[in-house]
Amino acid sequence: MRRAVTAALALLLAATGACSGGGAESPPDDPAVLRVLAGSEIKDLEPLLAKAAGAAGVKVSLSYTGTLDGAEQVASGAADGRYDAVWFSSNRYLSLIDGATARLSTQTKIMVSPVVLGLTRAKARELHWDTGEVTWTDIAEAAAGHRFTFGMTNPASSNSGFSALVGVAAALSDAGEALDQAQITAVTPKLTGFFAAQTLTAGSSGWLADAFRRRADVDGLINYESVLLGLRSAGGEPLTLVYPADGVVTADYPLTLLASSPKKAQYGKLAAWLRTPAAQREIMTTTARRPIVPEVPPDARFGTAPLLELPFPNRRSAADALISAYLNKVRRPSRTLFVLDTSGSMEGDRIAALRAALATLTGADTSVSGRFSRFRDRETVTLLPFNTGTGPGSTFTVPEGDPAPVLARIRAYGDGLEAGGGTAIYDGLRAAYQTLGSEQDGGSFTSVVLMTDGENTDGSSYEDFAAFHRTLNTHVPTFVVLFGDSDVSEMRQVSDLTGGAVFDARQASLASAFKEIRGYQ
Amino acid sequence: MKRWIGVGLALLLGVAVVLALVLGDDRGDGDGQGDGRGDGQGALTTVRGVIGSEKKPFFDDAAVRAAFARHGLRVEVDTAGSREIASTVDLRPYDFAFPSSVPAAEKIRQTRKIARTYSPFYSPMAVATFQPIVDVLAKAGVVRDSGSGYQVLDLRRFLDLVARGTRWDALPGNTAYRARKRVLLTTTDVRTSNSAAMYLAATSYVANGDDVVSSREQVAAAAAKIAPLFLDQGYSESSTEAPFEDYLALGIGKTPMVVIYEAQYAARLFAGGGAVRPDMRLIYPAPTVLSKHTLVPLTARAAEVGRLLQEDPEFARLAARHGFRTADPGVFADLAAKAKAPVPGSLVDVVEPPAYDRLEELVATIERRYLAGAKPSS
Repeated sequence: MRRAVTAALALLLAATGACSGGGAESPPDDPAVLRVLAGSEIKDLEPLLAKAAGAAGVKVSLSYTGTLDGAEQVASGAADGRYDAVWFSSNRYLSLIDGATARLSTQTKIMVSPVVLGLTRAKARELHWDTGEVTWTDIAEAAAGHRFTFGMTNPASSNSGFSALVGVAAALSDAGEALDQAQITAVTPKLTGFFAAQTLTAGSSGWLADAFRRRADVDGLINYESVLLGLRSAGGEPLTLVYPADGVVTADYPLTLLASSPKKAQYGKLAAWLRTPAAQREIMTTTARRPIVPEVPPDARFGTAPLLELPFPNRRSAADALISAYLNKVRRPSRTLFVLDTSGSMEGDRIAALRAALATLTGADTSVSGRFSRFRDRETVTLLPFNTGTGPGSTFTVPEGDPAPVLARIRAYGDGLEAGGGTAIYDGLRAAYQTLGSEQDGGSFTSVVLMTDGENTDGSSYEDFAAFHRTLNTHVPTFVVLFGDSDVSEMRQVSDLTGGAVFDARQASLASAFKEIRGYQ
Repeated sequence: MKRWIGVGLALLLGVAVVLALVLGDDRGDGDGQGDGRGDGQGALTTVRGVIGSEKKPFFDDAAVRAAFARHGLRVEVDTAGSREIASTVDLRPYDFAFPSSVPAAEKIRQTRKIARTYSPFYSPMAVATFQPIVDVLAKAGVVRDSGSGYQVLDLRRFLDLVARGTRWDALPGNTAYRARKRVLLTTTDVRTSNSAAMYLAATSYVANGDDVVSSREQVAAAAAKIAPLFLDQGYSESSTEAPFEDYLALGIGKTPMVVIYEAQYAARLFAGGGAVRPDMRLIYPAPTVLSKHTLVPLTARAAEVGRLLQEDPEFARLAARHGFRTADPGVFADLAAKAKAPVPGSLVDVVEPPAYDRLEELVATIERRYLAGAKPSS
């Protein structure tokens, strides 16, 4: 008996010792640790994975990345040697990239969650979607008639948005088979009607959910069932989930061993353990995802209606054409204002990095993620440099169908930025909100980016700006880029005040921070 | 306070015991790190293989591992699509390749100049579906009784249905499955996986006027007719277990009909446990083809694995438990009778797959259509 207790204690210690799962940029290689490159959606599994050390004998270290970024790292081979496995909500887009499948070894589905619509109870009742059958066509008609609004993540940054886009396009298309480019062109007008109702966008599901809780003017979200089941509206109520009768796209979370990894045994143990009935039940209970093993039946929260699965494109050209149509034709245009520090401390490498980051957004980056981060057709961009004073800025509108000449002008403007003078951050930021306040609200996705490499030295203070901001009735978020010697705590205050987010470019490149922000614009 | 700690510790220990039980459970299909489980023999010889994913449960089976251990062997396997095994997988780390068809094994045998291969078990291609789907397709004349105690999907009539672009909700009398999507069988990716290639073999026979495709001209004509069976499905997965798991776990909504190896379904039936629910049905394409699982030894020690699997009755019995048919039909039939499993003793309408080169040309022709991005003109 005593020996049994000792063994049990040893297991416990092993389990607590593994709680470090998460976050590390590039985990060092430890033969006992399975290094997993994951989508941020997986974050809610950290408590379960911490137990894997004791229960399955495998320690897991998670590093998070965006969908297309992750796909790119795998396809290019950059993930080889740095990670042992990848774990995204789906491998479908990844598998369409040339050469990617050869880098993947065994895939094991762990859980499933369909992408569906969640609405406030009141709105669901008003539209009669709380009872009876609803199709994407019904939803599209109500959307085109401005009878409800919704939020969704950016399909180029987040799998939930991409799955939603594929599902809506497949359902609204007259085709009964997987979409090709001709069908995408044909369905584009219907998509435009549908996405007229999208008034909130985001680069990640987590930020989308936070923003939704603040926004009483957004009626619902299109996201994973698992996210929607756990979400409360601005009014504090659970959402009514609408499962379109004509089908959905479902995430199946395949834990996937990289062919380059020697840790096949550890991978096998973890995958087998995650599929034990106990682990499957815990996943269901704690993350609201459906179990993948038939031995564990889904509980009552998930309902009983069978979910029809819509066909998913089988060619990258079709998937990319769909994302491109969404960004450049279908969704509401973007109105973006970049408040850019050109003070003396930016001299040298920093101003060069800023020029390069702006060039990235004008199409200079031809990578998978880069191509979808450029300034979009129909987007209006203001570049507003500041030092001791603010401006003058310059505003560009990218025309639909022929973006190249305007993109070239934006790049030229960025290349002409020079460093010098002081740092009047809040005068610059105030000018940005004043500019936006003087414009007519055309229903664009409007946002501000604040990039500064140091502390505020001139002009108004943060408190002055906060007082000014409180007089505005605005949802426009400021996305803050930490760079150089930013005042981190004050920058976080700006982000919190405006409902934005903070992006850290102190270690990673300024260009990659700008690319990530594009997902939110 | 002290008592509270005592209770807390007891709770924690309770958790630990559960964890220990889970761990104990899991050992059977772990990687065999602690082979103290064997029968007390000394060091085992490790033999590594790359196999079609449908055989992974067999090699993970504690009874199979123990049987190998009694012969001084520990067999470790990785999974990959059968066509990948025959083409892109680096075989250097492995002692054997064990794809799921004769053509894939033939390719490896020829490339590697291996003298002998082993075909210890086989499985007919089948279609896992649901009773409401069977009813609807029977009404449409596509599913019928074989006259030998099981139902078949008439591939000729099915191809006609597909050629007309029929959608589920357009089938007369269909109230059970009113999906707008096209009537198509879910398969794996034909470019990488054997089960889809076997379905390609069966449908190409029908598209070629009930004859095995045997010339380049026939390849072009047959591929044009059957390409939509694969391309129009959209995205498809690379290994056969994935869509079958969707079928079992997610049901009729995602996967109304899926092309599988009979063994996948039979294994679930033989094991009991309720994975196969009452409304699930196994039918067979007519004609069907046999997937002959063929082990190609790449090193001397792998030959012993092949020999045991093929000749040792114990392995035949274990293989049958995993749903495979072996040289002695009685082993499989006995298990089916015991489990009251609705699987036929033998199949009547079986055709041969095309020779390796022709099958490759069929796959390559369809692959080109993927790359072209253009839809087949059908």
